[in-house]
Amino acid sequence: MNRRQAIGLLLGTASAAGFGHVSGAVAAEDPSKYPTQPVRVIVPFAPGGASDFAMRLLQAPMSQALGQQVIIENRTGAAGNVGMDVAGRGAPDGYTVFFGNVGTVSINPTLYPDMSVKPDKAFIPVSNASETPSALICSMKFPPNNVKELIEYVKARPGKVNFASPGSGSVDRLEMELFRKATGLDMNHVPYKGGAGPAVADILGGHVELMFVTLAAAMPHVKANRIKILALSSKERSPILPDVPSVAELGYPELVATSWQGFLVPTGTPRPIVDKLFQAIVKAASDPTVKQRLIDGGSTASASESPEAYKAFIEKETARWTVVVKESGAVPD
Amino acid sequence: MDVLSNLALGFSVALEPINLLYAFLGVLLGTAIGVLPGLGPVATISILLPVTFTLQPQSAIIMLAGIYYGAAYGGSTTAILVNLPGESSSVVTTIDGYQMARQGKAGLALATAALSSFMAGTIATFIIAFAAPVLAEFALDFGPADYFSLMVFGLVAAVILAHGSVVKAIGMILVGVLLGTMGIDVNSSLPRFTFGVPQFGDGIDFAVIAMGIFGIGETISNLGRTEGEREFVKDYKGLWPSPRDLKAIVKPALRGTFLGAALGILPGGGPVLASFSAYALEKKIAKDPSRFGRGAIEGVASPEAANNSASQTAFIPLLTLGLPASPVMALMVGALMMHGLYAGPQLIAEKPELFWGLVASMWIGNFLLVVLNLPLVGFWARLLTVPYRLLYPSILLICCIGVFSIRNDALDVIVASVFGLVGYVLTRLQCEPAPLLLGFILGPLIEENLRRALLISHGSPSVFVERPISLVFLILTALVVLVLVLPAIRSGREKVFAEEAN
Repeated sequence: MNRRQAIGLLLGTASAAGFGHVSGAVAAEDPSKYPTQPVRVIVPFAPGGASDFAMRLLQAPMSQALGQQVIIENRTGAAGNVGMDVAGRGAPDGYTVFFGNVGTVSINPTLYPDMSVKPDKAFIPVSNASETPSALICSMKFPPNNVKELIEYVKARPGKVNFASPGSGSVDRLEMELFRKATGLDMNHVPYKGGAGPAVADILGGHVELMFVTLAAAMPHVKANRIKILALSSKERSPILPDVPSVAELGYPELVATSWQGFLVPTGTPRPIVDKLFQAIVKAASDPTVKQRLIDGGSTASASESPEAYKAFIEKETARWTVVVKESGAVPD
Repeated sequence: MDVLSNLALGFSVALEPINLLYAFLGVLLGTAIGVLPGLGPVATISILLPVTFTLQPQSAIIMLAGIYYGAAYGGSTTAILVNLPGESSSVVTTIDGYQMARQGKAGLALATAALSSFMAGTIATFIIAFAAPVLAEFALDFGPADYFSLMVFGLVAAVILAHGSVVKAIGMILVGVLLGTMGIDVNSSLPRFTFGVPQFGDGIDFAVIAMGIFGIGETISNLGRTEGEREFVKDYKGLWPSPRDLKAIVKPALRGTFLGAALGILPGGGPVLASFSAYALEKKIAKDPSRFGRGAIEGVASPEAANNSASQTAFIPLLTLGLPASPVMALMVGALMMHGLYAGPQLIAEKPELFWGLVASMWIGNFLLVVLNLPLVGFWARLLTVPYRLLYPSILLICCIGVFSIRNDALDVIVASVFGLVGYVLTRLQCEPAPLLLGFILGPLIEENLRRALLISHGSPSVFVERPISLVFLILTALVVLVLVLPAIRSGREKVFAEEAN
C-alpha cells in the first residue's frame, strides 16, 4: 500500500477529492509536460457497478502508461447526471476526466431536458473503453424457449406478459422498446431501481417474465443455469455463449446495440493532452489481463480508432437513442 | 457430514496465518470506521478495492467481509457513548444504550453489545453453513406484493418504537415517509421534491439525516444544557456484566439473532430493519415496556444481536445466487469480479475454499471482534470523562468528514446541518427521531413495491391476499393494529375520566 492509499484510508475519499481541487491552480502549465500530477477520473456510478468495474480494471495500466497515478472518484446520483455535472465543470487541463457511458452521454440529455450540463457541448470525447451487448433473458418458469416461441406466446396474450427493466430510461428498457416495435408485441413495463440486481432477482423468482439486461449482469445466472437466455443484441454470436443467437441472425439488425463506457474531457482541454490520454487508454485497453477480465464479465475492451472516431460514434448513438426515447414515451413532460 | 468436512476445509483456509492477518486487519479497520460516524463500509471498501487486487481472492474477500461486520459492530460504540449512531444499523442502540451510559453503565452497555453480537455472529455462521441454499430459495419466493406487506407490517410495528405519545410517533413516521419520496420517481422518471438540485435526484442519504438529527442535533441540545445536566454519571459501577445481567441478555439476544437472520436474507431491509424490528419486539413482549427508552438492557442486547446476524446472513443471497442484497454486497460482487470470479452456486462448487473459508472467517472475525473490543470497553467508557467543550468539536468534525465521504459532496454537509437544527427542534418538542428514520427507510420501499405489485398484477389488488406470504404479513399487521389500538382506547378513556375527576 502506498502513502496515498494510506491517507485515503484514513480520511475516506476526502483525500482523493482534494487532489482534484489542486489541479485548477496549475491550469496554465505546459501541455507537453502533461501529466505532472495525479489524474482524477470521475465515475458517475457507485463502486461495484459496470462502469466502476471497467474503470478499476483500467486504472492500473492507465496509471502506468501515463506515469502518474489515476484516481477514481465515484460521484453518484440522478442517473449519473451528478457526476457528469461535476466533471463538466472541471478545469480543462487533463486532470479531470469523465468516465461516461451510453446512459449519461447519449440518453439522459433527452430524458432529462432540464439538466445543467449538455454532454455534447461540455465534453471532448477521447476514446471508448468497453462495451457489452444486452441479453434477452427470461424466467425458467416462462414457457417460450426461443424468440419465435416468445413472439407467438405474447401475441396470444396481448398486454398480459410483464417485462422488467433497471429504470425507465435505461438502455435495457429502450432495447425492449425497439424489440416491441420490430415485432409489434404488446407487453407491460415494470421498472426497477438500484441497478440490474433487483430486476434480475425477480426474473429468477419468476415474478416478472422477461427483460433485456447487459450480458455482464446476466452472466453469473446464465452460467448457473437459472435463467433462459433467448438472444444477444449483437451482430454475431458471442464466443463465450456459442449457442445463443444474435438479434442480427434472427432478422432484427435494427436491434443491434451495446452498453458502452468511455472517456471524455471538459471542452477546452488542449489537443496534446487529449492525444496523450488517448494513447494511454488504447494501451490500457489492450492489456491482456484487462481484456480477459472484461471478457469473463461479458464485456469486451473496445478502444476507439481516434478521438474523432469516438466523437462520430457518440453522435450516432445520441441521434439513435433520442428517437427511441421520444417514441417510447419515456420522456417526462 | 458433508457440511462438517466443508467447515473443516473452511477453517483450514481461514486459519492460515495470512488469512487470519487479513481477517484481523478487516475487523480492526471496520471497528475504526464504525466508530467514525458517517464513514461507512461502502466508502471504506471502495477505497480498499484496488488494494485487494494483489491478494488471493479468499484473503481479499475475508478482509472486506471483516470490514463490513466490524463496522456494524463498531457503530454501536458511539451510539452508546455519545448518542451518535456510527452506522445506520445502530440507530436503535442509541435509544437505550445512551441512557445506560448516562446512568454510569456505559461499560455494561458496551459489553452487552459485544457479547450479544458475538452470540449472534456464532449462530449466524452456523445458519449460513447449514441452511444457506434453502434460505436463498426462500428469499427468491418473495415477490413485490410480499415485500409490500412485510414493509407495511414493519411500519405499523414502528409505532411501538416510541416510548412517548403515539400520535407524535405516527407524525414522525409520516414525516419520514415524505422525506423518503424525494428524488426521481422510478415509474415516470419525474423528479419529486428535488428543488431543481441534481444531487437530490436520488433523494437524501440515510446517513446524512441520521448524522444531522443525532450527531449535530444532540450536540446542539447538549450545549443548551447547563454543565451539570450535561454530565454523565462518573461513578462507574459494573463495567462488566454480572451473572444476573448475563441472564437478562441471553434471551433477547437469541430473539434478536433469529429475527435478524431472517430479515438479513431479504434484499433492501437488512441490518437496519433487523435492529428496528428486534427492538420493537422486545418492547412489545417486555413485562414493563416503560423501562424502554430509560436504559433497558434488552434494548441494547436484542438490536445489536439482530444487526450482526443480519449483516452476516445478507451474504446468503450473494454467495448462493449471486444477488447482492445491499450496496456493500454489490461491492463484494465487484471485488470477486476483479479476480475473475462470479458469485453464485457455481462458485461454491468451483472454489469451495473461498466459500467455506469465508464462512469460517466470519466466526473467527466475530471472535476477534470480542477479543479486540472487550479490553477497549474501559477505555471507551473513560472517553466520557473528557470535558464536553473538548468532546463536541471533535464530534462535529467527525460528523462532517463522515457525511462528506458518502458522496464526496459538500452539499450533504449543509443538508446534515439543516437536519441538525431539525433534530434540535424535535428534541425540544419531545418527538423521537427513530420512527422518522424507519419511515424514511420503509416509505419508499412500500411505494415502490406497491406500484410494482400492481403493475405485475395488471391493477388487481387481490394479489396482496392471494399470495400466502403477503397474506400472513397483512394478518400480522392487523393484529398489531388491534394490539396498539385497544389499550390506547382504554387508557385514553381512563385519562379522560381522570381529568374529569380532577
